[in-house]
Amino acid sequence: MPNSPSPQGGGARARMQRWLPKLVLSPSFVLILFFVYGFILWTTYISFSNSGMLPDYSWAGLRQWSRLWNSWTWGIALHNIWIFGLLYIVSCIVLGLLLAILLDQRIRAEGALRTIYLYPMALSFIVTGTAWQWFLNPGLGLEKTMHELGWQSFSFNWLIDSGMAIYTIVIAAVWQATGFIMAMFLAGLRGIDGEMIKAAQIDGAPAWKIYLRIIIPQLRPVFLSAVVVLAHLAIKSFDLIVAMTGGGPGNSTAVPATFMYSYAFSRNEMGIAAASAVFMLAVIAALIIPYLYSELRESRS
Amino acid sequence: MSFLHINNIRKHFGETTVLKGIDIAIEQGDFLVLVGPSGCGKSTLLNMIAGLDSISDGELLLNGRRINEVHPAQRDIAMVFQSYALYPSMTVAGNIGFGLEMRKVPKHERREAIERVAKMLQIENLLDRKPGQLSGGQRQRVAMGRALVREPQLFLFDEPLSNLDAKLRVDMRTEIKQLHQRLGATIVYVTHDQIEAMTLATRIAVMRAGELQQLGTPQQVYDDPGNLFVAGFMGSPSMNLLNARIVMVDDEPVARIAAGEGTLELPIVRDREALRGWQDREVIIGLRPEAITDPASANRQDGVIHETSLTVSLVEPTGADVYAVTHLGGRDINARMRPGTQLSPGEQTRFAFDVSRMVAFDPQSEERIR
Repeated sequence: MPNSPSPQGGGARARMQRWLPKLVLSPSFVLILFFVYGFILWTTYISFSNSGMLPDYSWAGLRQWSRLWNSWTWGIALHNIWIFGLLYIVSCIVLGLLLAILLDQRIRAEGALRTIYLYPMALSFIVTGTAWQWFLNPGLGLEKTMHELGWQSFSFNWLIDSGMAIYTIVIAAVWQATGFIMAMFLAGLRGIDGEMIKAAQIDGAPAWKIYLRIIIPQLRPVFLSAVVVLAHLAIKSFDLIVAMTGGGPGNSTAVPATFMYSYAFSRNEMGIAAASAVFMLAVIAALIIPYLYSELRESRS
Repeated sequence: MSFLHINNIRKHFGETTVLKGIDIAIEQGDFLVLVGPSGCGKSTLLNMIAGLDSISDGELLLNGRRINEVHPAQRDIAMVFQSYALYPSMTVAGNIGFGLEMRKVPKHERREAIERVAKMLQIENLLDRKPGQLSGGQRQRVAMGRALVREPQLFLFDEPLSNLDAKLRVDMRTEIKQLHQRLGATIVYVTHDQIEAMTLATRIAVMRAGELQQLGTPQQVYDDPGNLFVAGFMGSPSMNLLNARIVMVDDEPVARIAAGEGTLELPIVRDREALRGWQDREVIIGLRPEAITDPASANRQDGVIHETSLTVSLVEPTGADVYAVTHLGGRDINARMRPGTQLSPGEQTRFAFDVSRMVAFDPQSEERIR
């Protein structure tokens, strides 16, 4: 049998087949282990060290953490992320659901409309931020246009008003993510059995009650996914704020991500910055780990 | 004035016409089954009665009232769906009571009505469960409970048993029939299963390609099919249809059928006068399997028996019966023999034809000759 492999050769080939996937995957595995999880551990250690402008590995216990929680700016950042996160999540879900319901009425040009609503998600946050910054800038955008059209008393200066600037960021962020949330809800709505809606019609339920009592309760998994996606986007939001307000006016639109950046790279407080980064990671993990756990458990059973 | 009157109803979707003028009238307490192959328009017709599909043309009268434009909720009907269409976020009690709740029935009355229906359907112990925790048969009961609790004028059933396994389907069929007899409700029921149609209906409407083929009692549809389609669709095993030529023997018409090398001549009993006009022309004759038997089990009391010897080509015992297949008039035909009959393929045996049950069809128009 000249063509058949010897028993030894077959064994080598089988060993090769067993090891090849592991060999191919191992470089990326090692890189991720080092650059993602390794740096998470490193950052965590830095938050317990005396690091300032440069890493300093001497142990400082909870000093950086207490400085973080005593910092006035961190308080503002936390306050802002609450306002921003809450308004962003609620507005996106309410508007997304509303758009999805309207788009689900078997209207013409649904495909085109869906694409139009989804496009903002394709833009990077920097582009969105810059565009909205121009649009809301009193000297450049909406207000100037209104004045030129003859509405001299028109005024919309939230972008430069330290009390209102955070809301302009909410507007831009909602504009960007609503289409995506709408697509999620639309997929959920499409999965609902049409006979159930017919049954409810015969039962005498008006359209709004059909939505409220029968359809929306069935979208619970979509709500959960939407909240998780939006919440981690909110906590990570950095580029949008940098592009639109740079955290200003003053510190009025500072959020944990911009706080971390400015403490690490312009205020030479790497320890505090590391503590704030670890804190953000913990919050996101607290959101996502239970979600992944429940999702994975469902798909396994 | 009939209770439900479907008067020349048509349905168009753009250029295509799915219902081409349906006329059906039934009385209060009737159980109308719409039966036909898929795509015949039976479900569309049911949806139009429910108000879920618009009526393109024609008139729909329920108890003397025109309901063409009436909203489904105001038609005083209830419907059981193929997928059951239970509301997954509500309990069984919530599902059954939802229609009453929407009609603003006070809570304690609602509770009483739900309990009454649950007792009737033997689902009292399931009232606090969610539909996701129920088996197929239990969901079916809940769906029926939701329809029953409102005590409407008309019940609509859209293939309610097609998602159940074979045994459960037979049980539920019996229960639906009992329910109909006990409540005296008027029901319109859609199915593609002709056995369901035969067992449940007081009136069967056989439909094909958007047209009503025949409307009648189960017995009429079975014994007196109006055309070839109805003859072939109703009954299992289906009616034997064979080519024959009408010839005159002693001035009486007989059907001459090719049988092997020779011919078989069956005397005409039914529709004799009409078939006189078909002298020397080809027809298709229909004989139910139970009208072709062994001589011992032939019905000599009511029937007119004509015996002949034929070669058996296949034997199919079913337990309750033995079906013998033989070649006649260019087709394989099924004969229902006495259970326990010992036959083997290739064997010559005596067959008894009950010619009083024979019907004839025009091969071109496929209509019954009568």
